[in-house]
Amino acid sequence: MNLWLSNILRFVICVLLQVLIINNLNLLGLCTPYVYILFLISLPARIPRWAELLIGAATGITIDIFCNSIGVNMAACLLVAYLRPLLIDNLVTEKERLTGTINSTEVGMSVYLRLIGILIILHHSAVVMLETFSFQNFHLTLINIVLSSAITFAMLSGYEILRR
Amino acid sequence: MRSLLQLLSKYSILLMFLALETLSLVLIVRNNEYQRSSFFSSANVVSAWSYDKLSRITSYFGLRAENSVLHEQNTALLEENNRLRNELETIKYGLPEGYVMADADRSYIAARVINIKSNKRRNYLTINKGERDSVRADMGVINTDGAVGIVSVASSRFAVVIPLINTNMHLSCKLKRQNCIGPLTWDGKDYRFAYMEDIAKHIEVSKGDTIVTSGYTMNFPEDLPVGIVEDVATSESDAYHKIKVRLAVNYNSIRDVTVIKNNTFREQTLLEQTEK
Repeated sequence: MNLWLSNILRFVICVLLQVLIINNLNLLGLCTPYVYILFLISLPARIPRWAELLIGAATGITIDIFCNSIGVNMAACLLVAYLRPLLIDNLVTEKERLTGTINSTEVGMSVYLRLIGILIILHHSAVVMLETFSFQNFHLTLINIVLSSAITFAMLSGYEILRR
Repeated sequence: MRSLLQLLSKYSILLMFLALETLSLVLIVRNNEYQRSSFFSSANVVSAWSYDKLSRITSYFGLRAENSVLHEQNTALLEENNRLRNELETIKYGLPEGYVMADADRSYIAARVINIKSNKRRNYLTINKGERDSVRADMGVINTDGAVGIVSVASSRFAVVIPLINTNMHLSCKLKRQNCIGPLTWDGKDYRFAYMEDIAKHIEVSKGDTIVTSGYTMNFPEDLPVGIVEDVATSESDAYHKIKVRLAVNYNSIRDVTVIKNNTFREQTLLEQTEK
């Protein structure tokens, strides 16, 4: 499939899934998984970094418009978009081989899991802390970060295993 | 310039990231009610704290000017107080309006001590007002605490004041409660204490009694504070008390003073000289 088309499709599906279903789940009453970052993680490795930053900002602001939390997801997505190329540089040994979308078949299962694990924790920490915007009851914030990250990680890795 | 551009292009992605991140933070704070209130309230705490600290420091810079203004005002109030007291007396004795009592005909000149020697036996102060401000020899000098001294010489712009803590100084003072007159002298030792003499033994003096000017000199009006009794020593062979006086004026930190100009000074001295 065309790289452009597949990414646009993934964007639409991820955003709709996030805002229409996941955001209304209210799991355990204190955490929200943000599975839409699958779109950012899966972007092609060859994409220019400035474009990746702009795509990250746009994705974040789209989610923010639906969640009524302007700026929060944008900041977190920018973090993901900025750090993802650096992480790929560090984790993947044969970078020349990477042509299309980042997934477990391209980079290998263990590297892929490490990549999404780190990015999910960073993204969720940023989102939860910016939403809370306070260091009071920090243990609750921390529980929220850990639970949300764990659920997102389980969902994304489960999807990846099923997809293979 | 070239290296600056190189630097910019090297870090362009980082700069772009930081710019977008800043933009998102601005958006967060501006558009979300909760984040806005908590951000600005903590910002207010910080700014209020720093303003408070800053004002504590900067308030010292204005203190000198402020002090001078207050001193000028004080002098004006002294003058007004004097005038009103005179008016009260004239009404009390049924005198015509505008009549000025001989001992109320005074004006006041604000001055600042610019030099002080308070560790020798013959101390003196220099003040920044002289003959052109109509300061003359023999005028009394006071500050807010009480009597300071007497002008000994005046040049065009400065005047030298002999303070109470000068061994040549003898100021006629009065025990306020007992109404007894005696000269105040200084022994040349401690700038905080002077001695009052010629108070007969039969007069009861106790520690804490107030000592004021007698009003029998032409330099000072009556009842200006001079000090309080610190200690009373009485010896069998002596007919007089030796009263140690804690001076009201602290000569170590004296700064703003007021010169009392007695407008009837010349008239009184001339009259007294013809009598001799």
